[in-house]
Amino acid sequence: MKQLYYKIKKCLGCKSCEIVCAVAHSASGDLFKALKEEVLSLPRKKVSFAKGNNYPLSCRHCQEPKCVDACMAAALKYDTEKKLVVHDKTRCVGCWMCIMSCPYGAIWPDAKVKIPLRCDKCQDKEEPSCLKACPTGAVAWEEV
Amino acid sequence: MKQYLIIGNSAAGISAVEAIRKDDKSSKVTVVSDEEGQAYCRCLISYYLAGDVRADKIFYRPESFYRENNVQLFSNKRVTGIDVKKNLVTCADNSQLNYDSLLISTGASAIVPDVKGINQKGVFVFRTINDAKGIESSLPGVKTACVLGGGLVGLKAAYALRKRKLDVKIIVKSKQILSQMLDNVAAGLVQKRLESYGIEVIIGQDAAEIIGDGKVKAVKLTDNKEIQCSLVVAGRGVSPNIDLAKAAGIKVNKGIIADSALRTSAANIFCAGDVSETYDLALGDFAVNALWTMAVEQGKASGMNMSGGKVDYPGSIGMNATEFFSLPIVSLGINKIKEGAQGYEQSQTLDAKNSIYKKIILKGNFLVGAVLIGNIKNSGVLLRLIRERINVSLFKDELLDENFGFARIIDSVKERERIYV
Repeated sequence: MKQLYYKIKKCLGCKSCEIVCAVAHSASGDLFKALKEEVLSLPRKKVSFAKGNNYPLSCRHCQEPKCVDACMAAALKYDTEKKLVVHDKTRCVGCWMCIMSCPYGAIWPDAKVKIPLRCDKCQDKEEPSCLKACPTGAVAWEEV
Repeated sequence: MKQYLIIGNSAAGISAVEAIRKDDKSSKVTVVSDEEGQAYCRCLISYYLAGDVRADKIFYRPESFYRENNVQLFSNKRVTGIDVKKNLVTCADNSQLNYDSLLISTGASAIVPDVKGINQKGVFVFRTINDAKGIESSLPGVKTACVLGGGLVGLKAAYALRKRKLDVKIIVKSKQILSQMLDNVAAGLVQKRLESYGIEVIIGQDAAEIIGDGKVKAVKLTDNKEIQCSLVVAGRGVSPNIDLAKAAGIKVNKGIIADSALRTSAANIFCAGDVSETYDLALGDFAVNALWTMAVEQGKASGMNMSGGKVDYPGSIGMNATEFFSLPIVSLGINKIKEGAQGYEQSQTLDAKNSIYKKIILKGNFLVGAVLIGNIKNSGVLLRLIRERINVSLFKDELLDENFGFARIIDSVKERERIYV
């Protein structure tokens, strides 16, 4: 099972990963087309800054996920086979209990579409899109 | 073979079943509920009534859940007595069920206000899916609805009815809406939002009488003004269903008193969910924190302990998250400092124009409460500071900053961070 790791000493805070993430989750998958889409695709990860370091932040897919316990609509589930927290959009009502419960602050509200934004490790791709987008190699995709 | 018995088929009961079945695949698990059929997401009844959620999306677990987990479900069955000495429960139909380990997760019931004329057609409480369906089927022909109570349940009912294009008036006894959850500044912002979507909020008034001829015609307020309406929804809060435990001699206060393993005062009996009174991490005292999230956590911990585990349940916390007409709201722990309470301090930022408000309450170097309106990101990090009693002295002045988040508290959390290398 592979996990995203961040080498904070290498992260320059350029936010390339955020842009690529937003594009990867857009309808078209293309930067310029994505900007014109009706619903603007937003990044599932954010780079934050604290005490002189940049910290890319994304869903850790906790094995004891607080967000799943909190989900009153049973839209969030922990898939034990894939070892992923998965989100069923069709069940989500946008109550934001998951945002309130995430101990990492790694879930953001998409106020327009009323769904929580979380890293899904680019499930439909071979590897997370942010991996190759990082110019300094600060994003690592390695076995746990 | 061990017999587990669970009274209640909602968040706590289902979570307990899942926790028990994690370690114990063979023992007998029986769930008894006075509601009908499979477990559903109680908090979604307002979304159902609003038309946001379809009836088939309201179930908490698939229909196959009970079969797959080898659970015997008795629905529409009310437990009427517990014999703690004989490890036996009796039901309304006179049947008896024995147990080796019992979970009381009987939840809470809607409070029916003591108002003249309350027992008429067209008056509803709003707690179960059947309440929601009852309201829904009464909607044809209704133009105006009165909601009694400005708490979360009342407001959610109001939201749903407004989405169904009714004229909605909320009658609020206290000085503000959401008085359990928000301070008056935050409540003001929410009220403004409700009003801008056409909901009338009447503050400082109570229903003196429900007028009708067996069917609701109007609500008379304490100032004698009458509001013509043909639907009344009473959202006056809930009270924990403790009668069963009380009659069995189990220690109760407002709820059933739970220790740090979710045990009650009786042997082999645990409690979880809206019926339980647990240690409140923000208050430092026992409280009933009736919230879906808490019920799931307590159900899980009690289930593990019932099946031989030794899980410590550190405590609950009064909190909630919701959204009304695109205005998100989060409330954590203590939302206002009680008059005369010593040692607390608060700070806040307000952007009234954009309905953004953020307030934190500290006791010494510990965060004990927060209210967030309009911008709720990183609320989970604030919750963590409260839950894990993390000393905030290193970043006390930064808590309200736009960019305050997990990165800032990494060095203060107990767990070893393995994501950053």
